[in-house]
Amino acid sequence: MEFVNPEGLRLDGRRPMEMRQLRAQIGAVAKADGSAVFEMGNTKVIAAVYGPREVQNRSQQINDQALVRCEYSMANFSTGDRRRKPKGDSTNIACENAIFGCTNHWFMFVMCFVMANESIRRRSTEISLVIRQTMEECILTNLMPRSQIDIYVQVLQADGGTRSACINAATLALADAGIPMRDLVTSCSAGFLNSTPLLDLNYVEDSAGGPDVTVGILPKLDKVTLLQMDAKLPIDTFENVMQLAVEGCKAIANYIREVSFAREYQTAGVSTWLVVHKKGIRAHIQAPTLAWLLLDFQLSSHHLKLVAYTGVATS
Amino acid sequence: MASTGGGAPGTYTPTPTKKTQRSSFFSDSDVDWLRPDGRGFHQCRPAFFRTGAVNSAAGSAYAEFGNTKVIVSVFGPRESKKAMVYSDVGRLNCNVSCTTFATPVRGLGSDNKEFSSMLHKALEGDLPVVISCASLALADAGIMMYDLVAGVSVSCLGRNLIIDPILEEENFQDGSLMITCMPSRYEVTQLSITGEWSTAKLNEAMQLCLDACSKLDKIMRACLKEAASASLD
Amino acid sequence: MVGLSLGEKHFIQGGIDQNLRSDGRKRDAYRPISIETGVIPQANGSARIRIGATEVIASVKAELGRPNALQPDKGKVAIFVDCSPVAEPMFEGRGGEELSTELSVALQCCLLGGKSGAGAGIDLSSLIVAEGKICWDLYIDGLVISSDGNLLDALGAAIKAALSNTGIPRVQVAAGASGDEQPEVDISDEEFLQFDTSGVPVIVTLTKVGRHYIVDATSEEESQMSSAVSVSISRKGHICGLSKRGSAGLDPSVISDMISVARHISEQLINKLDSEISAAEADEDEM
Repeated sequence: MEFVNPEGLRLDGRRPMEMRQLRAQIGAVAKADGSAVFEMGNTKVIAAVYGPREVQNRSQQINDQALVRCEYSMANFSTGDRRRKPKGDSTNIACENAIFGCTNHWFMFVMCFVMANESIRRRSTEISLVIRQTMEECILTNLMPRSQIDIYVQVLQADGGTRSACINAATLALADAGIPMRDLVTSCSAGFLNSTPLLDLNYVEDSAGGPDVTVGILPKLDKVTLLQMDAKLPIDTFENVMQLAVEGCKAIANYIREVSFAREYQTAGVSTWLVVHKKGIRAHIQAPTLAWLLLDFQLSSHHLKLVAYTGVATS
Repeated sequence: MASTGGGAPGTYTPTPTKKTQRSSFFSDSDVDWLRPDGRGFHQCRPAFFRTGAVNSAAGSAYAEFGNTKVIVSVFGPRESKKAMVYSDVGRLNCNVSCTTFATPVRGLGSDNKEFSSMLHKALEGDLPVVISCASLALADAGIMMYDLVAGVSVSCLGRNLIIDPILEEENFQDGSLMITCMPSRYEVTQLSITGEWSTAKLNEAMQLCLDACSKLDKIMRACLKEAASASLD
Repeated sequence: MVGLSLGEKHFIQGGIDQNLRSDGRKRDAYRPISIETGVIPQANGSARIRIGATEVIASVKAELGRPNALQPDKGKVAIFVDCSPVAEPMFEGRGGEELSTELSVALQCCLLGGKSGAGAGIDLSSLIVAEGKICWDLYIDGLVISSDGNLLDALGAAIKAALSNTGIPRVQVAAGASGDEQPEVDISDEEFLQFDTSGVPVIVTLTKVGRHYIVDATSEEESQMSSAVSVSISRKGHICGLSKRGSAGLDPSVISDMISVARHISEQLINKLDSEISAAEADEDEM
């Protein structure tokens, strides 16, 4: 199949190094301590953070750092084919079909469900683990001993790159919850099809069976925290593809920073900004909602003013 | 799974034959037809209760309504395994299981989780029986209650209300109403309605159920008294 | 669940007694409702509804299937609800299952009518393609994203909005299939049939706190309830389903009273929802 046409355009009309449209919104779940919706093209993910709070299960408590937990779930309607739910219920209609129709089919139905469900379950466990490890890496867990932070990620629409979208949404939600972090982790994927490195694969490209490199970076520290690839690639091509993914991560980092600045401006109010503006940045680490933001960002006062006036940063 | 093959008789599955039955036993304008078991519209199945059906349980009861047979056993009160923190109220756990031969289509009651919603559907009609029987079992276990709970359902078929429907009737019902109530307190503890109802019809059906509940309550009380006097002797 | 101090409990109960609830509403007032349709592009129809801080998404997916042997002239509808842990940490793992099942059953009871299909909000006979052979199976999925009480009403409204947003492809059945053979079908990509949702009822839940009942309870208020009655009511004012939650018993006359109050409130709710849905559809068309 042709994934890049002779004019150099991909199936959805993008250039090979072009990312899908990003959209983010902070504060989607009223009751959560922090939440965000993150969209990459048609992939849409919602993340909510609860905590830091008391550890619910005492046996899991860690005395010198916070316990970070993560659960990933997919909505029934998130994929093109309606996914059969792993736990109960959804076989209802199939049951009726089977019982009123033919009893032999019934057996096959059940077998299919069991197998499909098993792989779905395994996949969500794996993604939960990836997200948890990635986020744990950048949260300053030692500042919150004996407490628990829960990250819940819900996929609303899956069109490739859910893993990356989940991590980006989780970062924003953690930032919204005011949880101290080393940096804002961002993630992006890249692939290699028709001997062309492609940034940010969508579902069709992802299921083509080519290599899919998912990278997560700490943009300010310039460190890679997550690197996953399936299929094989020559080492020099791999470097190119990975570099492309890293560039994607950086672009996302810029976007995420814009969104969170705009949000900070809204929530913190102008007066706080003026104080920050006058006294410099480092002095205000104790301001709770700003803490995460000011830890690592070296910004010029000019930049801050810009944010304050327009609500959008252009770094 | 159902047919054993090798010339053995296949499972009896009554569903296909029922399709033709509808016209014979019911039509919208029909005001007077015979119920499959010969009862009148407002006549309940004969109810039979007996306490102490299971020896190992703290309390138990057996109920028989026509062909519906239910055993409920109660264990406890005992220390809650799930209670992590102090609670000033107790927990009531409930688990319903259906034998594989309980319904015309065999194997409906398999305890596989996938079947749970089917089970719920299958149980719909028998739910009031299960509830009444459970309250009797609780009484047998000596657990303090506000009152006994009696449950009755009615089905709406066309313009008629029929009380205490059997499975066969339920398959053609246009609506159903189930009430469980505490007759001596005259309080409704559970009410569920499906299908479209006008107010007048709804009130009629509720009244019908409540009357039946109080009659059922008398039978249940008689059963308890009988058991108590027997143990005294 | 909601952890409230004794003082907070008294405050909530006292407010309800005096017809001035914690958020300034009267007992029969709803929180602001907003609806968006077409939020899930891969579904046949979808809607998101916000009632205060409660937010749910409903999607409708249509698949071709075989009708039930008992009812060869009707399609099938299945309703599932999922409670995302995003909404409440309690729903993590299998924690949301009990509530999901309770909500699914209540919605089925309220929207699908009796066993014979009479009184169903969704006209099942409109889902038939070839009698006895092919019909549409509608899978209605609800997802709770943010929970602050009154989930059932919100889900009911979301499903109503999603159904009015639903387009079902026109299907051509190839003639000539005889007997038991499954006929071949041709599903149109362009022509969609709009769904008639005028008969879909709304669900009004009355939550009894103390001696009074309130509509659209928040989760704090729900934690103080003695019982709640959810009534689904059609435009014509007919009761299409009812379910009761909560452990406390109710006097039959109270139930009748609650039903008549719910019927009164449903008129306003239906109008409100209709205008919101048509506004949402207009918004979507503009985009």
